[in-house]
Amino acid sequence: MRLRDPHGGGVVSATFKYWSLAPAVLVLAALTVLPTLALLRMSVSTITFAGGRELWAFTPARNFASLWSDPGLAATILNTLLFVVVAVAIEMVAGLALALLVGGLRRGKGLIRTILIVPILVPPVAIGNMFKLMYNYDFGLFNQMLGAVGLPAVSWLGSTSLALWSIVLVDVWHWVPFVFLILFAAVEALPVDVVEAAHVDGANRRQMLLRIKLPLLKPAIVVALLFRAILAFKAFDEVYLLTGGGPGTSSELVSLHLYRVFFEQNQLGYGALLSVLTIVVVLSLLGAGRRFLMARTP
Amino acid sequence: MPSIRQISATLAAVASLAWIAPLHALAADPQFADVGKQSTLTMLVPATPWLPAFTKLVEQYEAQTGNVVKLDVNPFGGVLDKARNDVRSGGGAYGALFLDTQWTIEMYEGGFVTPFNDVDASFVMPKEVLSYGDSGYWNAQKRWRTASGGKLMGFTVLGNVQVWYYRADVFKAAGLAPPKTWQDVLDACAKIAKPPATYGAVLRAERGNGIRYDWQQWMVQRGGSVAKDPENGDFSVTVNSPANKASLDQFIELGKKCGPPNPGSIGQGDVIQLMSTGKALQAQLVLAAWSNFENPKKSAVVGKLDVVPLPIPAGGVPGGVIGNWNYTIAKGASPEQKKAAIAFAHWFLTYDAQYAYAKAGGIPNRADVLASDLARDPTYRWMRAYAETMKAATQELGYVEGPQVEQILGLRLNQAVIGEMSSGKALNLAAQEIRAVFAKNDRKTGLGPPLPE
Repeated sequence: MRLRDPHGGGVVSATFKYWSLAPAVLVLAALTVLPTLALLRMSVSTITFAGGRELWAFTPARNFASLWSDPGLAATILNTLLFVVVAVAIEMVAGLALALLVGGLRRGKGLIRTILIVPILVPPVAIGNMFKLMYNYDFGLFNQMLGAVGLPAVSWLGSTSLALWSIVLVDVWHWVPFVFLILFAAVEALPVDVVEAAHVDGANRRQMLLRIKLPLLKPAIVVALLFRAILAFKAFDEVYLLTGGGPGTSSELVSLHLYRVFFEQNQLGYGALLSVLTIVVVLSLLGAGRRFLMARTP
Repeated sequence: MPSIRQISATLAAVASLAWIAPLHALAADPQFADVGKQSTLTMLVPATPWLPAFTKLVEQYEAQTGNVVKLDVNPFGGVLDKARNDVRSGGGAYGALFLDTQWTIEMYEGGFVTPFNDVDASFVMPKEVLSYGDSGYWNAQKRWRTASGGKLMGFTVLGNVQVWYYRADVFKAAGLAPPKTWQDVLDACAKIAKPPATYGAVLRAERGNGIRYDWQQWMVQRGGSVAKDPENGDFSVTVNSPANKASLDQFIELGKKCGPPNPGSIGQGDVIQLMSTGKALQAQLVLAAWSNFENPKKSAVVGKLDVVPLPIPAGGVPGGVIGNWNYTIAKGASPEQKKAAIAFAHWFLTYDAQYAYAKAGGIPNRADVLASDLARDPTYRWMRAYAETMKAATQELGYVEGPQVEQILGLRLNQAVIGEMSSGKALNLAAQEIRAVFAKNDRKTGLGPPLPE
């Protein structure tokens, strides 16, 4: 079969086109499909080692049963949902507010943008250690500041009611700039004629924001929200470094739990099952966001 | 004025003396093993407080033998990840793997390390080397680490055990004797602590391996256990016994009465920090932390600390749980690497190497070094407490389910410490979960009567 080149370059063979794509397809298969299939296989198996070799047993029922008997899983899921909803909500509001604020400036936008994105550039390990020092009960900056104004020290990471929120605070500090960057670009790209027309028609600030800017920013907001929700769902570094999931299960998140099962407990099959479920949840989030975007964008 | 020829001759003589001097030193130290020329040996090692001492010893080995050793240094957990990646993919990256005691079972049972006598049939462990609960042996039939019927898979390169650190200067000023019982510790706390400026005693109780390991020291002192007789196949769960509840209650009481108000988030780094800044006056810690406190760059309490074996409860017995690092030979290593690993082992286990190791800040694994003149030197005043502790110290969780049991205990004990549940409920829950783990692996298991919650 021969096809006409849509760019007017003459006739090209369809077979040639398919063969041209073959290397990319093979690379994709090797790097994505095969590991995913291996993970799926692992998720329904029990893997042990003997004589320097892997021994696989097909045990799907046993792995799924582990889901119900896993003592920390329910608390982990609840913590993760709380973490994602609260952290992402704060980040979206703060990021949007900053984007609108900086977007409205006449001078110094570049400098402020550069300063604001610094937290994204800091490696998560450094952030974790930095905040661990600042949260330290006896020597940390936060408690020293509280002490300076006569307030008692707070166990930021040692209290079951505070540990998760202390991590949320770090996550907000780390990721607000990311939301800001996406939304700032969208604010800068708002159509000037529409905004000016609204001004001419007498729209006040509130109307301008709710009726004009937010609807126009919606695609960018959804993209930022999706990215953040997915990344927050997978959060690991901060919680691992700051609390290790404790005290108790008060700050255990899904990724950390998965790490414990897979690496510390060496339960490869059940760990793989948890990984597969995490992927399913993340893909569902992605799908929901995509549907929302397709449905609401004109 | 000397001529150029005379100056040259003098310099040549000095140079030859400098060259001869190390040879002379070697001749005066016949106990260092002559291991011959070996291939470059790569070791997978953890970044731990005793690493500087081990590094110094490796440098001495290289200088003496001309052999080259490469150290791949990693954080604690990273060592296990790298070791697994290496051995599960056929190996070859490392000749020697340093394995924490909890990881050895997985590696022995998986067949990922080589028995020493498969590399060198004549290799014999010097009788002076401490056994550390036989963590270097594996009896495959029994699935247990024991020299009885077991093969030699490794030896202890760092025999960590917990001891009780206390501020000798403060105790002396207060007219207190070193604590022998937990009640002594509580009494001392009440007398010398001035919280929040200073804490009477600090325990590690953060979730995970920290609290599991620390509490088990208390557990064994009351004759407690996690499973009835795992060595002989009886995995009946005994963790929710009245004796274990008593030890957990006392552990919690001491943490609350003597320590900071956030006991459930205190990790090893925090304990070391509190002791080295002088904020804590007593602490339960691994001996390997000693070098931190004697280093003026890291410590405000140099020369002020002393150690004793862990205090015991009323009616209890001395006991401790070993947390040692094991030197093993990777199965996938090349024959040259394996030979080089055995050669290093020969050298490392000599009296003089262990003596030098102690002087460099390490913990020697030979009884004769622990009884040497060093033990009488105030600089090494920890040696007596260490030797005393080692007499009764044991290995715990020596089965393949150990990491899972560790996670369960690490969570439930922590929940009891932070008051999320009672000690009875925490131990009952732990017992049920541990039994489920054993049952899943078809072990002979069971559960005793529950504790009152």
